[in-house]
Amino acid sequence: MAAPAAKRRKVDHVSSDEEEDVASYASFGSEDEHGEGHEDLEANGVNKNISEGYGTEGSSGNGKPSVVSNKLKGLQARPSNRVASGPGSQNGAYAKGTFKSSLFKLQVDELLDQIQPKQGKREKEAEAALHKIKQTIDQMPGKEPLPVQDVETGLFESSKVVVPFPSPRPRPAANHKLAYAKPASTNVVGSHALKTASRSMKSLEIDMVVVMPSSMFQEKDYLNHRYFYKRAYYLACLAAGLKSAHNDDFQLRYENFQDDPLKPVIVITPKSKLKGHSDAASKPKWRINLIPCISEDTFNSEKMLPNKNCVRDQSTDAEQVPPADSAASTPFYNSSLRADMLMTSYLKTLHGAAKTCDSYRDACLLGRTWLQQRGLGSSIHAGGFGAFEWSALVALLLQGGGPGGRSILSDRYSSYQLLKATLQLLATRDLTKQPLVINSGDGASIEAGNGSPKVWDGVRSHNLLYKMTPWSYKKLRNEARTTLKMLNDSNFDGFEAAFILRVDNDLYKYDHVIELSDSAVDDGSSRQDYMALESHAKLYDVLQRGLGDRVEHLDIIPQWTESWDIDTANRGATTARKLRIGLVVDPDTVNRTVDHGPSAEQKEQAAAFRKFWGDKAELRRFKDGSILETVVWQTSTGQTVFEQIVRYLLQRRFGDQIIETATVSGGEVTKNLPHGSASTLFAPTMEGFKQFETDIRGLEGLPLSIRQISAADPQLRHASIEVPTRALRPKPANIVLQFEGSARWPDDLVAIQRTKIAFLLKLSQLILDALGSCTARIGLENDGCQILNQAFLDVIYDSGAAFRVRIHHDREQTLLERMLKDKALEPSVKDTVVLGLAMYKRDYIKAPAHTQAFAGLCSRHPALSGTVRLLKLWFASHLLSNHIAEEVVELIAARTFVQPWPWQAPSSVQTGFYRTLNWLARWDWRNDPLIVDLSAGGDLKPAEMQSIATTFEAWRKLDPVMNRVVFFAASNVDPDGTTWTDGRSTKVVAGRMSALAKAARAEIEEKQLLLEPASLFSSPLSDFDFVVHLDPELGGKKRKAAKKEVPAFKNLEIDMVDDESNVGFDPLLDFTTELEQLYGSAVLFFSGGHERTVIAGLWNPQTALRPWTLNLSYSTTPVKLADKEKMQAKVNRDAILAEIARLGGEIVRRIEVNRH
Amino acid sequence: MSLLLDSRPQIILVLDFTVLPVRRPAQPSFPRETTHYLYVRANAPRVPTENTAREVFIKNVPIDATETHIKALFADYLGGVRVESVEFEDAKVGKGTTVPTLQGKKRKRGADDDEAKPEEVGQLPEVWDREVHRSGGTAVVRCVDRPSAEIALREAKRAVTTGKEIVWGAGVGAKVPPLGKARHFAHHKLRYPDHAELQTSVDRYMEAFSAQEAERTNLLARQRAEPDEDGFVTVTRGGRVGPAREAEAKMQHEELKKRDKNRVKDDFYRFQVREKKKDEAKELVRGFEEDQRKVEEMRKRRGRVRPE
Repeated sequence: MAAPAAKRRKVDHVSSDEEEDVASYASFGSEDEHGEGHEDLEANGVNKNISEGYGTEGSSGNGKPSVVSNKLKGLQARPSNRVASGPGSQNGAYAKGTFKSSLFKLQVDELLDQIQPKQGKREKEAEAALHKIKQTIDQMPGKEPLPVQDVETGLFESSKVVVPFPSPRPRPAANHKLAYAKPASTNVVGSHALKTASRSMKSLEIDMVVVMPSSMFQEKDYLNHRYFYKRAYYLACLAAGLKSAHNDDFQLRYENFQDDPLKPVIVITPKSKLKGHSDAASKPKWRINLIPCISEDTFNSEKMLPNKNCVRDQSTDAEQVPPADSAASTPFYNSSLRADMLMTSYLKTLHGAAKTCDSYRDACLLGRTWLQQRGLGSSIHAGGFGAFEWSALVALLLQGGGPGGRSILSDRYSSYQLLKATLQLLATRDLTKQPLVINSGDGASIEAGNGSPKVWDGVRSHNLLYKMTPWSYKKLRNEARTTLKMLNDSNFDGFEAAFILRVDNDLYKYDHVIELSDSAVDDGSSRQDYMALESHAKLYDVLQRGLGDRVEHLDIIPQWTESWDIDTANRGATTARKLRIGLVVDPDTVNRTVDHGPSAEQKEQAAAFRKFWGDKAELRRFKDGSILETVVWQTSTGQTVFEQIVRYLLQRRFGDQIIETATVSGGEVTKNLPHGSASTLFAPTMEGFKQFETDIRGLEGLPLSIRQISAADPQLRHASIEVPTRALRPKPANIVLQFEGSARWPDDLVAIQRTKIAFLLKLSQLILDALGSCTARIGLENDGCQILNQAFLDVIYDSGAAFRVRIHHDREQTLLERMLKDKALEPSVKDTVVLGLAMYKRDYIKAPAHTQAFAGLCSRHPALSGTVRLLKLWFASHLLSNHIAEEVVELIAARTFVQPWPWQAPSSVQTGFYRTLNWLARWDWRNDPLIVDLSAGGDLKPAEMQSIATTFEAWRKLDPVMNRVVFFAASNVDPDGTTWTDGRSTKVVAGRMSALAKAARAEIEEKQLLLEPASLFSSPLSDFDFVVHLDPELGGKKRKAAKKEVPAFKNLEIDMVDDESNVGFDPLLDFTTELEQLYGSAVLFFSGGHERTVIAGLWNPQTALRPWTLNLSYSTTPVKLADKEKMQAKVNRDAILAEIARLGGEIVRRIEVNRH
Repeated sequence: MSLLLDSRPQIILVLDFTVLPVRRPAQPSFPRETTHYLYVRANAPRVPTENTAREVFIKNVPIDATETHIKALFADYLGGVRVESVEFEDAKVGKGTTVPTLQGKKRKRGADDDEAKPEEVGQLPEVWDREVHRSGGTAVVRCVDRPSAEIALREAKRAVTTGKEIVWGAGVGAKVPPLGKARHFAHHKLRYPDHAELQTSVDRYMEAFSAQEAERTNLLARQRAEPDEDGFVTVTRGGRVGPAREAEAKMQHEELKKRDKNRVKDDFYRFQVREKKKDEAKELVRGFEEDQRKVEEMRKRRGRVRPE
């Protein structure tokens, strides 16, 4: 029992590991073979054995889909049952293990129902068209073989159709002839034929192959593009034939098949009936790709192994001499040709898989959706791994691939297991170093090479991944790895992130994006079409090498070649094509200023290093005595180190003109933050706190010894918008001080508060005596509520560090709770006690714990600090800060880092911020609690998650209209979830937040790279009923400018004198709080704190006209309505606004009324 | 609606309140002249006191009203009546109530005179130089005698019917501390009291508190020691000090818990295992039904599941 568990754990780790673990595959296969069901209860509790009668064995839902026990044959949730097992059926209950959870399974079922292909109107139309096309093709007459020159001009003259020859074009003097003969067969292939096409695609796409007769080809036609020339001519003939027959019904265009320039195809779309509509505007409902191909035995497959050369140098007449040099092999050309031979063979294979494995189709649909949401596709520009490759890979893995030729997947896997096992394979095994060979008779004849991945189909001797580049393969692996991690996260329902969300927006995905013109990096050597994959290899190598460990991932995204008219030779304008390079950086190293190269003694490496870096390389001697080649970057140029490197590399390698076309973007949004977003900005503050703690602990003569000094302030967890050490006037940071227990404390709440004051007085005396360089004074708070904390001690160092100390005495809680139990308590007193208890828990227990946890998370994720600050700025800019506690904002931002799915944890502030907005727009706060594990180490166990969720549901039952609790935000240090939100926000505010986030998300997704970040931070004030414009100086931003002026009023001089005695003076905040207290029942105020010096207001709808009574809690005007007996009361808006103006005095500059 | 307001047939009475319009001059930041409505009547609390007869009740007091304002209003517009004191509904905004402690160290402004003075010791210093009041609040104005209260009410009615213009805060001027930033600044200054003063206040409070405590302990000790007339001895708190005893109790509790744990484990008997399995199975089914419900709800909420 113990052994499999151990094994499983190992596999779990593999999923997060870079290295591939062959052993895991071994165990995979062997388990399958023996088919033994594991009796172990799953370690993480996801799976539980239920009684035998139910017949499920604990099969892992975690590490990998494990094998189903023999006993269960037929009883498992087999996909054939899926349709039958709709909601209501009991089958799903036993799906534990075969699916992540039954919730996951139910959602997958629902999704599959939605994307399952259906026979609809457009399908009928398309199929009718297929028949017509087939008929036409069958009736087309053959054409005599003719030399190249003649056919091209002949065809153009006769039917205005161009022959889409690949480049290089056939030499006019070539001695081979081109012909057209009746096709051997025509057939529908691909996902439509297999019924694995997803209905969610915008247009129905059908692949139709036309098998060219073998008689047209000679044995050696695979060489030097001859096959492709013949194919191109054949295609042109088909185009001509179809054009003459169906010019009115269909539109015919050429397109590179999956972006492969060697293989153009004809794309047939319906001609729009209404002439008024342009074709571009309305996407056609369906399209048929007409793909010429050949039968499998046309050429010898051995000639097309990846290490063979099939494009010989034609300038020297070397056709007869086979090149000995395999370095000049042409794998892409070979595989591309080979793929044409295997069209029907693969169709058969996939069909076979669908027959033997019930869940194969579903797995294909899921895989297709998964790929599609990640922007991966069969086309070269989309990575070369799409739905076809997925289906073929799964089909092959069902047949073999494991050790000893056994299959990796089992026919009895559920669709989820198939998906997960395939992802596991992609994630853990590096196919570039260790190609996967399936069903090869002679074993591993395929060696790894040139950094591109290989999945070798031995039966068909074909590399399935031939269209993949090193970077697109890396991207695929990253995505697979992320998804696996997500699916293993037992606290997270990964369904949405796996299949619903779109993951391919550059702004969410990449920290930086470089845009270039494609032609600038093309050095001409790759102009030939068969080198299509290599065209950006140099760019990739240069950037990868130059940036080194600064980047985690580098992705090159060329522009897609569009289709072109059959009467033009313009094969997708290549000159104006743009190229995007997306980068994910390592936040720790991205802006490192010094790069160390090899030591001077290693001559060869040193020379290579110098050659690579040019003038930038210099020899430096370091402290430890080593002498190394080094590259040093400046920090003062205004450009980040990252941008400098990119620009330098591009310029050095691709010439000056590239710099003019290149734009390097990323991080623009952080410019909105004061003093930038670096995580190091708060280091001095944290140092200051440490110093303070040492100072306090060093004091002698305290009546009690100190148990704990804890920070409880955003400034001390890297999360305040303003950087404390750069602020104009320091804001004291809250500190909680706890003394050792003593029996001498009074046992009365009021007396405890007074005793605290006595302690603070003593403390301040000691501090002033011991440390000369600071001021310490006691301030009062909560006046009028004597049972609440009455005083705090402000300690302000001359350096500017300021702290506010409150004393925590744990007896208070007991006393408060005892009072609550007292039945005889007056309701008003009870309210105070409840408030006191909430404040006690919040200020003395939750706030320090939250601060500690969050500060820890910030040091784990350097980008978190900036993200939180930016998000707070966003809330403030939209005047929501007085409604949403800072801690809630912090939890929202932290969520993006600890539950980053479907991405990895953000490595820059920009992605962090945008993804947070994206989630905020999707957050359904009515039904979903926010639960964040701040420990990031799995402190939050599923059981706790469950109990928090139960608390949430209890709240919703208790308060269904959400008068008290709107947001529910819990963390591992605060399972209550309402500490920061109870009674703070209203539904109106929450709704506004969602609306603003949705608008921001729409803006991000629409503008993409052209996004103007400032636009996310502005919202019109006209949405509010009235706006109180405050003295802008109160924001504390423009003080410097004001200093030069001579104050016109005596009282304005007050804040010019900015010494320590003014620390803590914040009229803006005081005024806002006071307004809320005075008019809370009539007006909803919106404030942006110091970031936006306006207070906006909405009249509470409850202030509408109503019968006059004595207990209306706002200023009213009596109104007599003709039809009503009773006197009505109308809120006296003008009078209230005038009162606000009077109360504010100089603070209020202007009150603007938008609506009456 | 606005038409109704503007045509303004002067409303004199709402229930038994006289509606007294008060004009407030325009200000630069809100250049609009506004009218505020005070609702005035004779004070009629549920439990009348000897003073009720000379009191006037005002509803919808402006937020910035002070005793000076009210006095000026009565003196200048309502028959020159002299006001003895004004009690606002919420002595301080947002302060709620204080908790009655043993000896009621509750602060009451304008409270009954017979309240014992010695209990007011050790108050903390005031932090605002001018209070403001909740919008729509009430106040009770105590005039010097009953006739003056009656005069004030009569004058109020007359002012309304004759349309006499009443200006709020006229003639108050510099008699009250200013509002606006100056007030906040004053608050800031008052908030940080002198340490010596604070020390004295705390010392005096603690002194009084310990005196009380001592008295109480004496009382309890006496109760413990002496049987009452029926011959029973009252059981009272005391003896050892609270926190220390509590810590001990806690430890005891932990100890017990630990011992409990070491007893028979819950998988010792066969029936336990069986039952556990059964529970788990039930839990699984329940979980599944729960999930089904969730998905159903989700479908209702979001409609169809479709990839974006």
